[in-house]
Amino acid sequence: MEPIRTTKVTLVDLLDRILDKGVVINADVMISVAGIPLIGICLRAALAGMETMSQYGLMQDWDKNIRDRESECRKNNAICSNSFSRESLQNEKEQGPGVSSP
Amino acid sequence: MSEARYIYCVIDNCGKKTLGNIGLENKKVYPISYKDIGVLVHDCLPQPYQSENQETVKSWLLSHERVVEKAWKKFKTVLPLSFDTIVKPDKENSAEENIRIWLRNEYKDMKQKLSQFKDKAEFGVQVFWYPKLVADRLMDSHQDLKSMNKEIQSKPIGTAYLYKQKLDQKIRTHMVEESKKCFKEFYEKIKVKVEDIKVEKIKKPENEKQMLMNLTCLLHREKSKELGDELEKIDEEREFSVRFTGPWPPYSFVS
Repeated sequence: MEPIRTTKVTLVDLLDRILDKGVVINADVMISVAGIPLIGICLRAALAGMETMSQYGLMQDWDKNIRDRESECRKNNAICSNSFSRESLQNEKEQGPGVSSP
Repeated sequence: MSEARYIYCVIDNCGKKTLGNIGLENKKVYPISYKDIGVLVHDCLPQPYQSENQETVKSWLLSHERVVEKAWKKFKTVLPLSFDTIVKPDKENSAEENIRIWLRNEYKDMKQKLSQFKDKAEFGVQVFWYPKLVADRLMDSHQDLKSMNKEIQSKPIGTAYLYKQKLDQKIRTHMVEESKKCFKEFYEKIKVKVEDIKVEKIKKPENEKQMLMNLTCLLHREKSKELGDELEKIDEEREFSVRFTGPWPPYSFVS
């Protein structure tokens, strides 16, 4: 069995890697935003196809919820530090329904 | 002003040469070095890349990955950073100086990681099963399920319905046990073929398939064949299918 690496097949796999992982810089001079992993979630949702998503209907509400909170957060902190955004979104993720369990 | 720096990855023996306009939105990608290590960057505004337009985001993500891949080929080893990692200037230092300060502070750790991940790649291994096929097999092989199923046939509709629910519950319990058993069995088989392994979260079911395990494996980038052979054996079983992706830069192991 050969490993595959075509863009179409593996975009979701790529997202799993480049949004959540990689070397982390913990420094005050970092810019990042709470919305970045969120973009990932939306894009993931689009890629998974709406049909599958609606089976797990809560996801949409949750998505809206997390979006609202994110824009709220963005208003409050025009620029968030990297570590802050990571932590807060990690928490959201842990609580979010329908993402991980089969 | 483009006074901030978007960072793609950490590399060894990076030299001074630009990699050309291969960055996000065709920005020029070039190294900033400290001693013999460095990072690949492009100049950008001190604000994150963000957009509501999915196509735009998608093209950024693919560009990020393309730069990391190119660097990986050219420099043999990379420590990739996640998307949208940007360093800005502060009162005392330019962004470039801030990056050098960071590299200086992390130098030992980065050198150690660069040698640790030399020629290594990560591979995604996702094993799925077809719950219906598994349930059918369990039904055939477990006497308690079999006899319960038989009993249902002889009951009036109302009672049969309740029995059916009870049976479903029982099958589910058996399937949970079965999934644990399979996970353990496959995990052991895969573990001996790789150098490091991470158990990732299971993703939601797609069509009639259900994800049983989601692993990220670290191994020599040229040595995926042995793992592939092992996975093929699992994939050939009627109840299971395997998704094998890679080689990826070692995103999951460098943080």
